[in-house]
Amino acid sequence: MANSAYRPLETGCNYGRKYVWELPVRVSHWVNAVSVTMLFATGLYISDPILAPNGEPYQHFVMGRARQMHFLFGYLLLFSFLLRVYWFYAGNNYARSGFPRVWKACWWKDVRGQGLQYLRLERGHVHLGHNAIAGLTYTIFVIFLGWFQILSGLALYSESNPGGFWDKMVGWLIPLFGGSFTLRMWHHTAAWGFVVFVIPHLYIVLYDDRQYKNGLISSMLAGFKFYERNDLDHDRWIS
Amino acid sequence: MMKRRSSTYDLLRDHGVDRRTFLKFCTTITAAMGLESTMVPAVVAAMENKPRIPVIWLHGLECTCCSESFIRSSHPIAQDIVLNMISLDYDDTLQAAAGEQVEEIRKRIMKEHKGGYLLAVEGNAPTKDGGVYCTVNGESFLDILKETAADAKAVIAWGSCASHGCVQNAKPNPTGAQPVKKVITGKPIINVPGCPPIAEVMTGVLTYILTFDQLPELDRVGRPKMFYGQRIHDKCYRRPFFDAGQFVESWDDEGARKGWCLYKMGCRGPSTYNSCSTFKWNNGVSFPIGSGHPCIGCSEENFWDNGPFYQRLSAIPVPGIESTPDQVGKTLTVLTGIGVGAHLVSHVARSAAKSYSKESAPPAGGEEERK
Repeated sequence: MANSAYRPLETGCNYGRKYVWELPVRVSHWVNAVSVTMLFATGLYISDPILAPNGEPYQHFVMGRARQMHFLFGYLLLFSFLLRVYWFYAGNNYARSGFPRVWKACWWKDVRGQGLQYLRLERGHVHLGHNAIAGLTYTIFVIFLGWFQILSGLALYSESNPGGFWDKMVGWLIPLFGGSFTLRMWHHTAAWGFVVFVIPHLYIVLYDDRQYKNGLISSMLAGFKFYERNDLDHDRWIS
Repeated sequence: MMKRRSSTYDLLRDHGVDRRTFLKFCTTITAAMGLESTMVPAVVAAMENKPRIPVIWLHGLECTCCSESFIRSSHPIAQDIVLNMISLDYDDTLQAAAGEQVEEIRKRIMKEHKGGYLLAVEGNAPTKDGGVYCTVNGESFLDILKETAADAKAVIAWGSCASHGCVQNAKPNPTGAQPVKKVITGKPIINVPGCPPIAEVMTGVLTYILTFDQLPELDRVGRPKMFYGQRIHDKCYRRPFFDAGQFVESWDDEGARKGWCLYKMGCRGPSTYNSCSTFKWNNGVSFPIGSGHPCIGCSEENFWDNGPFYQRLSAIPVPGIESTPDQVGKTLTVLTGIGVGAHLVSHVARSAAKSYSKESAPPAGGEEERK
């Protein structure tokens, strides 16, 4: 890609640093990470409460607390998603770099190139934004799955207040899925999608960070990524 | 039957019911409808003055448990009041007449009270093969239902059969049984589900219509909100055990003896809207959860297909998968782990081989450090 636009490279330097992930993107990422972890843990307990406190019920509030946490982190996830949707439009181009551009040849080329790179254990190019495979994975396992979990979760949550706000907003999902029982089953099944996603996500982040040594992991905290000549810039790739 | 246009009170007096008992009944039923005590006079006035509503009660593909429940309405003089409150002109199970007389009565009401009678339907209509799987007097129930509903003021679907389909409508539904709402269009339909519905709920719905001359407010599934507005779970006396996390694990454990929550035994209380935990059954004696059995969610759609009754989660309804969500999830997690592990091992092996052959690696290439 055209590296000439980079000032450091123009001045003859081989390395540069770029502000890739803006604050809302990073905040949203970590809120998602914490929320999904807590939601999965509390969700497992809610579906199969294995703790059995003894004594009188007034002494305990285990299930009540688990549900409270589940709802709390559910709301956090919702707000995090809303922030991220807003930032998809308001943020820099990297905030949009994950969108699967299936109509563009260069996107498919990157899917192939990145896939081969992983399979051949090669170093390949550093991507400043998301590579095509990462973007595709996030779209499926974070955006689609996440919204499904948020909306189905709110629909189930609305059952305690029929005719209330959430019932009016998302209550239609219950009959759509053939009743609350079936929707709960899909909500539970889909939750495992996050586990299936997080395992390779963590692995590839660690792997790429070691391969590229471009500050991939620290970019999720500070926002900066390092690059050198010939690295792919999705900033221009997608716009 | 009796003189049809007399009021409920007239009829009760004829039956020897005194004023005091009558007022007590009115008060009970007002409370049951969730109305304030200031509404009691309105109910009394309606009972005294308004002519009883003629009702045709049809029986389709069903088990008659709704009728059984209805005639056990818990008020002290239940039979008299409940059966006389409305003008139950036609009910092929309860009425004395038989044969052609019966059909004549039905036809006569349909003509005399055109657009003014209520049609109560118990059971549902098989629709396959022209409806031959349920016939009355040589006619298919499907045709009778359509014919009778055509001139009705409104249709009350008694029980889960008429409201949602219930057992007959469960997979694979060989007779093509369909609930009333799928057969009748263009008429207001009140669904009063339950297998059977609670007697007081049935009485309450009729009283409401009689008192206010209008249909009660319905929820998304067409059920009267006043009786189906809350979950069994939210009014359950075992709810404190649920919140505390104290659950029955098997039918004879310590928790079962102490009356802990039946959630883990598959209780559908958290997703079932009905009045069982408020009104209870048989004169308010008990209800399923009260006697140590989880709710099976009989007033919810597809409750029969949402099995097994004693599990909270069903198997995933995808052909070829006979596993619960957790089994599927764990399997996929292990497979993903194996995939990631294989990549890690290949990567480490390759790095080791590279450093062994002392090739100079590309700038950030394979290091020997391993996790």
